[in-house]
Amino acid sequence: MAELTQNEKRLLAALVKEHKADAPHLATLLDTTPEAVIQWAHLLEDKGLVRHERMVDKTFIYTDEGKEYLKHGLPETQLLKFIRNDTPLVELQKHAAFRIGFGQLRKKGLISVNNGVVLKVGEPSTADDEAALKNPRAGGQRTKDLIKRGILQETESVQNTVSIQPEGLALAKQGLDLREETGTLTRDQILTGEWKNLNLRRYDIAKLPRRVYPGKTHPYQRLIEEMRQILLEMGFTEIYGDIVQSSFWNFDALFQPQDHPAREMQDTFYLKEQAPLPTGWEKVRDMHERGGETSSTGWGGTWNKKKAEQCVLRTHTTSLSIQHLAANPNPPVKAFCISRVYRREAIDPTHTPEFEQLEGIVMDKGVSFRHLLGYLKEFYGRMGFEDVRFRPAYFPYTEPSVEPEIYVDGLGWVEMGGAGIFREEVTAPWGITYPVLAWGLGVSRVAMLKLGLKDLRLLYRSDIEWIRESPVHRDQKVTKGGRK
Amino acid sequence: MAIIGLPYKYLKRLTGTDHETILARLPMIGSEVERQETDHADVEFFPDRPDLFSVEGVARAMRGFLDIETGLPRYTVKPSGIKFTIDPNLAAIRPYLGSAIIRNLSFDEESILSIMGLQEALHWAVGRGRSKVAIGIHDLDTIKPPFHYIASPRSRKFIPLDFERELSMDEILEKHPKGRDYAKIVKDFPLFPLIIDNENNVCSFPPIINGERTRVTTRTKNILLDTTGTDKKAVQVAVNIICTAMAETGAAIESVEIDGVQTPLLAPVERIVSVRECCDLIGVELPATEIANLLEKMRFGAQPVGRDTVKVQVPCYRADIMHDWDIFEDVAIAYGYDKFAVEISPTFAIGRAHPVYTIAAQVRGILTGLGYLEMMPFTLTNERVLYDAMQRERSSRVLSLMHPISEEQTVVRTDILPLLLEMLQVNKPRELPQRLFATGDVIEDMRTTQRLAAASIHLNADLSEAYACTDAVLRELSITYIVQESKDPAFIDGRRGDIIAGGKKVGVFGEIHPAVLNAFDLEHPVAAFELDLRAVPGYPYL
Repeated sequence: MAELTQNEKRLLAALVKEHKADAPHLATLLDTTPEAVIQWAHLLEDKGLVRHERMVDKTFIYTDEGKEYLKHGLPETQLLKFIRNDTPLVELQKHAAFRIGFGQLRKKGLISVNNGVVLKVGEPSTADDEAALKNPRAGGQRTKDLIKRGILQETESVQNTVSIQPEGLALAKQGLDLREETGTLTRDQILTGEWKNLNLRRYDIAKLPRRVYPGKTHPYQRLIEEMRQILLEMGFTEIYGDIVQSSFWNFDALFQPQDHPAREMQDTFYLKEQAPLPTGWEKVRDMHERGGETSSTGWGGTWNKKKAEQCVLRTHTTSLSIQHLAANPNPPVKAFCISRVYRREAIDPTHTPEFEQLEGIVMDKGVSFRHLLGYLKEFYGRMGFEDVRFRPAYFPYTEPSVEPEIYVDGLGWVEMGGAGIFREEVTAPWGITYPVLAWGLGVSRVAMLKLGLKDLRLLYRSDIEWIRESPVHRDQKVTKGGRK
Repeated sequence: MAIIGLPYKYLKRLTGTDHETILARLPMIGSEVERQETDHADVEFFPDRPDLFSVEGVARAMRGFLDIETGLPRYTVKPSGIKFTIDPNLAAIRPYLGSAIIRNLSFDEESILSIMGLQEALHWAVGRGRSKVAIGIHDLDTIKPPFHYIASPRSRKFIPLDFERELSMDEILEKHPKGRDYAKIVKDFPLFPLIIDNENNVCSFPPIINGERTRVTTRTKNILLDTTGTDKKAVQVAVNIICTAMAETGAAIESVEIDGVQTPLLAPVERIVSVRECCDLIGVELPATEIANLLEKMRFGAQPVGRDTVKVQVPCYRADIMHDWDIFEDVAIAYGYDKFAVEISPTFAIGRAHPVYTIAAQVRGILTGLGYLEMMPFTLTNERVLYDAMQRERSSRVLSLMHPISEEQTVVRTDILPLLLEMLQVNKPRELPQRLFATGDVIEDMRTTQRLAAASIHLNADLSEAYACTDAVLRELSITYIVQESKDPAFIDGRRGDIIAGGKKVGVFGEIHPAVLNAFDLEHPVAAFELDLRAVPGYPYL
């Protein structure tokens, strides 16, 4: 049984004596306003302890003008008494009631005027109006007229009655503690020990409070942090770089031929700006044209320096990885990067022109394709994807290449990123002599899976309601925490 | 990626085994089964294996992979006695020519579609949309050898495929659908490439369209194949792929004489590879004999030479073998990606976070501590949002995209605050107060740097709040600063301040100007600030 506030208890106690009473009376008894009594009555009524009835009566009151007419009669009545069979108008105008009475008598067709003489029409009488004045009737036509003329006013008189119910009586019988209750403790009460004598009001813990939302990092950012954590724990160094890259670092250094479809302006955001090529760029040219010093045939053709200088918004994080390797050609290298990349794609539910990509590289003496598969299994395992399988794939800068697939309940085997060993054509120009294992994945796609999103755009144009409701710690099995 | 239709009946005939077995193992050679219908399956192959863009090519590969028929496929080529000349004027236009004669074909509707499919897939994968290589297939019996590849006046007329009357080559570029699609490849040349027979009949106008005369039908028994282009290797590989695919159906391949040389030969290319290098790369210890065995499953010819090397014959249709490692990948595929005993390498290194991201994480901690929610808006935006709506002057230093994909994304942001105000606009229906922050990249003069922006909207948002918040953030980041009156038009005059640290302006705070609120359709005051994170002591790159 929910707790009663002190006021509820007082009202209930009063009704034990009165059984049934109207609000103003109870207000007087309880030293409060009728409005407060009604409020408390409602609280008790919710608990089935009392019944509150509200009756609305339409009544009429007389305005000051109306009170006058009640005593002396309506102006038209008064004027009518004055009229004989042919009273001159000028005479009539002297009468006090002329101003209003004359117009009324004319309107009602009780008199007519002819050549300055006022004549009665038939046997005129204002008896009906007088009757309506003395006993106004709701809805009556004459009553309505009197209201219009400002003689009567319509009011509602509301009567609120509260009566105790059997359950209320029963509860009262058990005894009501009417002592004054304390809400918030004051400093004094705490310090002086006065609190020992106080009756602390009980609050209803069944009632949910207004929700409070903590400040939070974005759910997507939290996922990115999880991945960062995994890689840092595995001993990887985080790399960072500019969004703007030359085609040289974004494509050519990765052995992507200059006529590759991905380099077309349909797929890549080109910029007007050019960037100078780094020292050693000739080795990359030689690699493209003839395969350099390796067993490669190269792409053949002529390599265009101007094309390589053209700047783009980086299309993959691999452009940062190769620069890191070029600056750190000696083993061991374990590096990663999670950052934004850009593809020229129209925005729709599964594509955005910018999104996050993760890249990890390992360069060491003696690393092999077998180890690459090992890193993939380890990494996806730590992300919560225990079932991983591997399929041959193709990327322009890796050989061998592999596409990992993870098993997702409800979706089956889902392709998740790509991996491979950097081709010798990629690493040789920078004096890197040991194999480089590399893997990458679109982080936004993983986010859609893990956060249960159907629309990629929600990551970047977020509904704060979603952020507010996304718990910081996700229970992998249950969708929503909070009070049952 | 090219999607190839594989009819089950045909596949069974070519491989000798049922389609379920094939489809189950197909992904392990490097493909994805897109869908399985009742009579065929659609499978996607990678662009580096154009030899798999036909049923015949797939069947050939799977016969090896499933141990039904292994080793180098052998193709015999007889000289046809037919000559094909090249006009030296084509050297600057479209210099390379490949050709072959294919006899004893029996075409039905399905096989015509199949070879056209292969043609288009090759155009895409190898031909770079016909500019590098274009392929023409002609009914040999409608034309008379020898054939001539010439540079023709643009006014030359002939009836192109699918049309009924003659058009000049110029008109074809304008009026024929293929002409419009590919005109850009040739339209600037003074003369156009043309293939004619000995009686001056037009076989084709490469790379645009064949003549109607040489149309291949179900009655065609013999074919003239032509490939033209700007890349010698690509031109030849296209011939090899088509000839070997046709040979798999039982057709006879005959060579043609071009510039005194018989072509195609369909002969393999030899490479000698190192056993040690192969085992080191893939991470499995395999003897030379096993490596040779696995390569034969992938339809190479392979013989161990001693214990240290393997002699490999690469089939003429393998366009992707450029480097020894391309061969080693096939060893790994034949071994089976599912058979590797996977484990991570014992490479030891100590993990290290990058200071840019460490600082970003601290910034997030401070802002969430103040009760703010993080947003991650786009970096691509437009000048209307970035400047006009903010009442700020457009900057010439903003990075513009050369070919934007829409009017909404034309530049890269130089500030984050406008994007954050957009996020407030997006969230108008949500309960107040709303306090949002974002930290991330902006680009100034091509350099990427980091900023923090925050905005608070509710009935009583004011300068006090903006200032107090800014002050808290700067204190928590250990930034010593002074404040000066700001002139930033995005804020109300008299309610805005510039943050000065190290003698430079590093940020701004204040109450957002009502005109800016109007521009973003916001209905309550907004307290906001933006900070350049280069002001943080210890920030890398200054």
